[in-house]
Amino acid sequence: MGFLNLFIVNQSGGLIHHRPLGARAPNIGTNDWLRIGSTFHSIHAIAPAAAPVKLPGNMLDNGAEDGIYEIEGAGLLLKCLQTRTGIKFVVTAEPGTPDIDTALKEIYVLYADGALKNPFYELEMPIRCEMFTQGIDALIERLDKASSYSKSR
Amino acid sequence: MSKTNASSAGHTLWSKMPKANAELFALTYGSLVTELIRDYSSVSEVNAQLDRLGHSIGVRLVDEFLSKADLLNVNVPACTNLRDTAEVLAKIGFRMFLGVTCDVANFSADGNSFSLYLYENPLAIFVELPPEEERDERILYSNVYCGVIRGALEQVNLRVECRFVR
Repeated sequence: MGFLNLFIVNQSGGLIHHRPLGARAPNIGTNDWLRIGSTFHSIHAIAPAAAPVKLPGNMLDNGAEDGIYEIEGAGLLLKCLQTRTGIKFVVTAEPGTPDIDTALKEIYVLYADGALKNPFYELEMPIRCEMFTQGIDALIERLDKASSYSKSR
Repeated sequence: MSKTNASSAGHTLWSKMPKANAELFALTYGSLVTELIRDYSSVSEVNAQLDRLGHSIGVRLVDEFLSKADLLNVNVPACTNLRDTAEVLAKIGFRMFLGVTCDVANFSADGNSFSLYLYENPLAIFVELPPEEERDERILYSNVYCGVIRGALEQVNLRVECRFVR
């Protein structure tokens, strides 16, 4: 239910991966994706300066840089996981979708196992790894199944 | 962070990692080093290559470390100073990937350097190095560790130098 899109932005702000996660995901062209990726990176970096509460050293508790981690709109929920190495995993979903945070953490693990361990994958380059794509497919299937069980109850 | 916290975190992560045969691991690494020695004429070249290998491993390893810790809700709090970093490295990092205990000691007065003591080295369980002779530089068999530490800390914006002392 409800997951729309996933995009991953590297440490320098370039988009390294984007994919739809569900049937209702809007179709976005590649150029638009690249623009979305870099815009999000920049806004994420500027946001702590505009925030009413400034964290010491601009760091969250876990050491990652502070920035936008959730945007909630009328038809959209956007969540971002900023890792301590500077990569951002961003998932958009319909409002009310459960478990987005867990999904983000699992996507991070899938990135570490599927993309980073691939010897042909260069860091900060677009991700074109089979294992990673299949892992995400399996994850989304599992989450969809889990949420449809809970809905039918 | 408290010492027991870090050790239990390391233990939890170690138990969740997929395991490989220790002998296979040691022998694979051994054949890798042997090939390097055959390829390069000088010992310092071999050591540099091992360090480079370790560096490439380290930059990817740190994401795996952080992601698995996050997923299992193991708290790896932000390191505010080098002492914390040393603790995390020794107690959680080494424990998680190699299953070995590692101690931190010898903090310098300005807090800028420290020593790591490895009591067991799973890479070198079958290894005997040739005697020193007049070699001006010895083979640093496990130099890959230095590279891994350097690469991993570089990804979290900490530039370090790591070398074998003994």
